[in-house]
Amino acid sequence: MVISGVAATGALALAGAPLIREHLLGALVMVALLAIAAELLLIRYPLRPEYNDRGVWLSVSTPIVIAVMLVYGAQFGVWLDALTTLVAGAVMVPSRATHPRWVAINTFQSVLSASGAGIATTAVFNPESGVWSLQSLGALMLGLATYMLINAVLMSITVALAEGVRARWVLAQTVLSLPRDVALMTPISFLAMAALQAYGAVGLLGVLAPYLALRQAFVLARRQQELYHQTIRSLGFLVQRAHPYTGGHLQRVSLWARRVAEKLGLPPDRCELVYEAALLHDLGKTVLDERILNKPARLAPEEWAEIRKHPQLGAEILRDTPFLAPIIPWIAMHHERPDGAGYPFGLKGEQIPVEARVIAVVDAFDAMIGGEAPNQRRPHKRPLTLDEAIAELERGAGTQFDAQVVQVFTKVVQDWRRKREAGANT
Amino acid sequence: MQGAWWAFGITVASIAALAYYAFVVLPARIHRWRCEGLRAFARLIELRTQGRYANAESMAELASAVAQRLGVPLHERRRMELAVYLRDIGMVAIPYPVLNKQTPFTPAERELIARHAEISASITEQIPGLWQVAPIVRLHHVVYSEQSDAPLSAHILSALDDWLRIAESADADTASSVLKQGAGARYHPMVVQAILGEIHQRTLGNLQALTRSAALWL
Repeated sequence: MVISGVAATGALALAGAPLIREHLLGALVMVALLAIAAELLLIRYPLRPEYNDRGVWLSVSTPIVIAVMLVYGAQFGVWLDALTTLVAGAVMVPSRATHPRWVAINTFQSVLSASGAGIATTAVFNPESGVWSLQSLGALMLGLATYMLINAVLMSITVALAEGVRARWVLAQTVLSLPRDVALMTPISFLAMAALQAYGAVGLLGVLAPYLALRQAFVLARRQQELYHQTIRSLGFLVQRAHPYTGGHLQRVSLWARRVAEKLGLPPDRCELVYEAALLHDLGKTVLDERILNKPARLAPEEWAEIRKHPQLGAEILRDTPFLAPIIPWIAMHHERPDGAGYPFGLKGEQIPVEARVIAVVDAFDAMIGGEAPNQRRPHKRPLTLDEAIAELERGAGTQFDAQVVQVFTKVVQDWRRKREAGANT
Repeated sequence: MQGAWWAFGITVASIAALAYYAFVVLPARIHRWRCEGLRAFARLIELRTQGRYANAESMAELASAVAQRLGVPLHERRRMELAVYLRDIGMVAIPYPVLNKQTPFTPAERELIARHAEISASITEQIPGLWQVAPIVRLHHVVYSEQSDAPLSAHILSALDDWLRIAESADADTASSVLKQGAGARYHPMVVQAILGEIHQRTLGNLQALTRSAALWL
């Protein structure tokens, strides 16, 4: 944050104050007011749905900033962007929509991105050639792309530092959507530029309608992603309700599973899916008779047969939900064993997807240390300690559990324990 | 200057396309996504009750058609469709032995089952962004004479749920006559009319399709 702060201040100083030119003062105020209004309609961009009150913003005032740059000069644009982000952020702080630290981070980021875009546009755009030209269109697109690219790089670094997500993943997601975003923003930006040129700042009012459409598109695109998470969390909530897990079993299993998947080198989006599959791995139990699930005594063979249906029932519940299709096999196979003694299909080794093997190990581990439902603990046995549980996993490696997964998971647990002890000592 | 007009035309056209995408295409797609996600909830109850409750697919489609007849606006119709998928999710909290009982229910059990609407609504309220659907879910067994001011979509679900259930256990004609008898008392009269109209039209359509295929076959 300090580094980006210094860099941003430097960039602002380098750009110089545009306010010296008095005839532009009125225009700046007008444009800034509009842009602040736009910014307040912005879309926050928390990477994990758990964090709703913080995160990096996806600003939709960018097209206006770039248009302003082409018409009034790059320095004007940089100052405008800095000002709007800062003021809009400051307005949001009292309503607890964000935290001052995030306002600062976002402001620094926007200054740096705007400076980059300014340099890029001035390099290719000659003001003599006028607004209605291919050159101005090209400069506009270049400016938008530069702005968003720099913003993406900074954002991925910030988010990676703050939320522990891998920077490469965030960057990849942003870069992938870059062509779409530029295509969506260019018409608005072009219109804003033309309006600014012809009617001055007042002309921007004419851009309002398309601007709102653009914003709507972004909000909905974002919503689509949220829906996915909402569905999963709501289903997870139902599992928890139906089945008396001791506190946080599902959360722990999901977090561990994601960590192991990351260590196994699975692609980041797959790791997220593993997290979600782990949250839902016992979804099928919501269908079963709770008299069996809650039975404190040892289960009869036919009751075990009922319980053993739950992986397939879980898969059956999700059958008609196409966007959860990738996790269905993992849920169906999370009780398979590498030696073929598992259920429901009795698959062996590589026939079981690695994600299902991960969930199997982590689920068993958490059950051993006492996180599982009371009746599924072996009767009259106390929960194991971490070391005992790891030893148990290692004993089962290659037969009950996947050997490679056990190896990686052991490392993950030991890392976690080291960190926890270091935390306790300080 | 000709270049300028071209640029202007392209800008306006692309903004129109953007607006269409943002206000028509995307909301419809999002609604479909929502329904697909909530289908899992309906499926869960279907499995838990061995198919006795929460048969959502046909109900969602029929309810939407009936609502369209009654002039219910699109956003309300969409909410109602979501309510169809969520209406019986409260059954997760009703004991399994009661749900899967083979003999008729005792009054106490009936009362227990009746609580599912309230539980479904409270689960719906906990799903972010679905609080507006909760009132419809809560009232999906509403009785017209007791609560005539309930949302129209709740009245539609109430009547349609009974129609589908009776049509499945007996036949469509019996179901329609039960609705007709209950119009104004148990069911909203306008809703009954719309449902019967829709059913009538569908049977006619089916008959026509049948004759057409028979004619082709001959």
